[in-house]
Amino acid sequence: MAPVVDFLQNSLDGLSAGAAYALLAVGFTLIFGVLRRANLSYGPAIMLGAYAATWLFLQTGAGLLVLFAVAVLATVLAGTYVERLCFAPHRKGAAAAAMVASFAIWMQLEELATLLLPRHLYAFPALYEGGPLTFGPFFVRVESLLILLAAVAVCVAGWKVLYATRFGIAVRAVIDDPRAAELSGIDVGAVSLRIFAVASAIGGATGFLIVASHEQVTPMLGMWSTLKGMLAMMLGGLGSLPGAIAGGLALGLIEAHSQWYFGPQFRDFIAYLLLFVLLAARPPWMNTRSAY
Amino acid sequence: MDEYAIGVLTSVGLLSFVATSAYLLLIAGELSFGQQAFFGVGAYAAGIATAMLGLPLFLGLLIAMVCGAAVAALVGLPALRLRGLYFAMATLAAAEMLRILFELFHWQVEVGGEVVGPDGTQGFRGIRWVFERGVEPLGFLALVWGMLAVVLVVIHLLERTRLGSAVRALGEDPELAGTLGIDVLRLKLAVVAAAGALAALGGALFAHHNTYIEPRNFDIMLGVHTLAYALIGGLGTVVGPLLGVALDLGLLEGTRVFQGYRMIVFGGLVALLLIWRPRGLLDERVVHWLRTRR
Amino acid sequence: MLRVQDLVTAYGKIEALKGVSLEVAQGSITCLLGPNGAGKTTLMMTLAGILKPRSGSIRFSEDEITGLPPHAIVARGIALVPENRLVFPSMTVLENLQAGAYQRRSGFDDDIERMFTRFPRLKEREAQLAGTLSGGEQQMLAVARALMSRPKLLLMDEPSLGLAPLVVEEIFSIIAELHRDGATIFLVEQNAHMALRVAQRFYLMEQGRVTFSGDPGSLAEDEVIRRAYLGSSR
Repeated sequence: MAPVVDFLQNSLDGLSAGAAYALLAVGFTLIFGVLRRANLSYGPAIMLGAYAATWLFLQTGAGLLVLFAVAVLATVLAGTYVERLCFAPHRKGAAAAAMVASFAIWMQLEELATLLLPRHLYAFPALYEGGPLTFGPFFVRVESLLILLAAVAVCVAGWKVLYATRFGIAVRAVIDDPRAAELSGIDVGAVSLRIFAVASAIGGATGFLIVASHEQVTPMLGMWSTLKGMLAMMLGGLGSLPGAIAGGLALGLIEAHSQWYFGPQFRDFIAYLLLFVLLAARPPWMNTRSAY
Repeated sequence: MDEYAIGVLTSVGLLSFVATSAYLLLIAGELSFGQQAFFGVGAYAAGIATAMLGLPLFLGLLIAMVCGAAVAALVGLPALRLRGLYFAMATLAAAEMLRILFELFHWQVEVGGEVVGPDGTQGFRGIRWVFERGVEPLGFLALVWGMLAVVLVVIHLLERTRLGSAVRALGEDPELAGTLGIDVLRLKLAVVAAAGALAALGGALFAHHNTYIEPRNFDIMLGVHTLAYALIGGLGTVVGPLLGVALDLGLLEGTRVFQGYRMIVFGGLVALLLIWRPRGLLDERVVHWLRTRR
Repeated sequence: MLRVQDLVTAYGKIEALKGVSLEVAQGSITCLLGPNGAGKTTLMMTLAGILKPRSGSIRFSEDEITGLPPHAIVARGIALVPENRLVFPSMTVLENLQAGAYQRRSGFDDDIERMFTRFPRLKEREAQLAGTLSGGEQQMLAVARALMSRPKLLLMDEPSLGLAPLVVEEIFSIIAELHRDGATIFLVEQNAHMALRVAQRFYLMEQGRVTFSGDPGSLAEDEVIRRAYLGSSR
């Protein structure tokens, strides 16, 4: 009986971590879907948002709601800066320049964050003060449930916007065929900027949830978010929102089980191996992007 | 020349190997986030060869290059048909897997009463072949730059042959290249292997310069940095990546002017530069213009 | 209505348009003929704002529109039905029409009904994904989508490309119908025979320049067709 309990508990833990990965993947996917580029500054922008909130907390001891708003706002500002500097100028050019530029700004944003708060670890107020929920032999952290709830909320809201609003039609049109969208009178540049802002807002909220759930902020947040987000996005099939959620949850599950059965060193190794194998096996349908 | 300057110049030389290896892939049309792993393969292979197997340095360098090419080919083969971001992510995944393998790699032997060898995350100490023979920092600098010069000249000459044109055609338009009779996949694999060997050579020299290497030396940051150097230096000439490395390490870090906020300056400059010149400072147009002025 | 003067569009060093000048009169069907590679699609793309010309001018109803971005061109009342249709494959027929009406904030439901009346086959496939339609149906959808923005000038790039003869007849009867209802149409066509049957004026383009202009009666039809497919004889 015990191995089954372990398996289920690990799965619960995996889904909990996966919810955060899913949210990160959604942000990457939105940007990749609309702009067809990977934004390497996404994680660092989230980190800057979390750092801004931490700085405010240290200065004024503000409450969670205010910190949330600041994190989201700071991330959106950073994201807009990245879009204008790294993506808008290269819209008609090659993807390499945009991605390398976004990497350069990654370095810039990270250094800005560490100049703001130089220490290696900062405390952050807790998202939830109580203990985990237990039912039978299983336990789930309330924070994880909140993050899962946020992921579901983003999904539902995203679906509504994409399928029931005028903006949603424009976004799906740009994702489907940017040239046809231009000819239909859609301002592709404006759509890109707005999607960037939306993705950054989601990222800022995710960053806040992550640091509040762990009750700490470290400079590794930037790199960590980028890696997990991109990994989850690719595992889920690059380019579809449901895929992003699935990829994030899958990544969480893979990590949790790999760690349990093979040890912590193999946790990341297996995730990367799986991605590599999936990529290697894909070529026949590589160029078709999945629809939303 | 003072020791600090020698150190900076040596670092510029060493990193130019990895940056040039990223450049080779860039002109073949692919982004690689993984060249740092082959830098590491070369470092470990050469270290094992000289510090544990007692082989001379040049043999160690050769073994490093062979290992680099072999591992790159092994990793590149399944990923060969991938393009764009998919290929880039595959290289990232492979590089991280290799780095984790370095973290798990334990092999130690006793050499002259001392325990030497890779010790997982603790790293690999005692790669002292160069210093045991009394080579001065200046001498090592000459070695690094001498080998780099040879490599750059070879690549430069190759770029002017049909092979070079084929690689650039591959980078511009793989479908078109295929219709011109170029075996696209074989050529891409050859470039991947060559780039791996080049990075490995740099890594081998790096290991002997530092005498100590650890898996953390070969992480993603190195990879993305060298990719950036290759692109901003310019894709028009093989000297481009060197320029990119020199700009960051030499100018910005070396002069210590922007201590503490170097990346803020460099990052911003890179982004702005790429708006003005998406294919780097010494891009194909500039190089062509320079050539036709003679 | 549309006046193009000395338009030059280049890809890097290669000039695809070497100074094109032409006029499209209001309420007419004007067609542009010429061999492959003459630059006809480049001209359409420049008129639609997708390509920026290096020099020259495009005037629409006396307004200078040279260099405006595509969405501004649509706002001025010019819509392009592109070569290869370019429908939105993963969106339904209805959603394609809604996308075409993006710039209009109201009143497009009536227009959608009107499109369905004019193109009954689209109504049948209202909820079907555009990527699964046949070539002819996609062409109709592309035309309908362009019409959703209520353009004053409709540009069409090779509407008959890749379609069966019967479908081509159908498309051209729609073109004639639109013309009867007052539309101004500027049409690029490989099928010179069909194009000359509906056009009031035609231009011949070769190697980036306009080399001949006239109305369908002014030159023997087979001479025109020969030059359209093969270029001027040496």
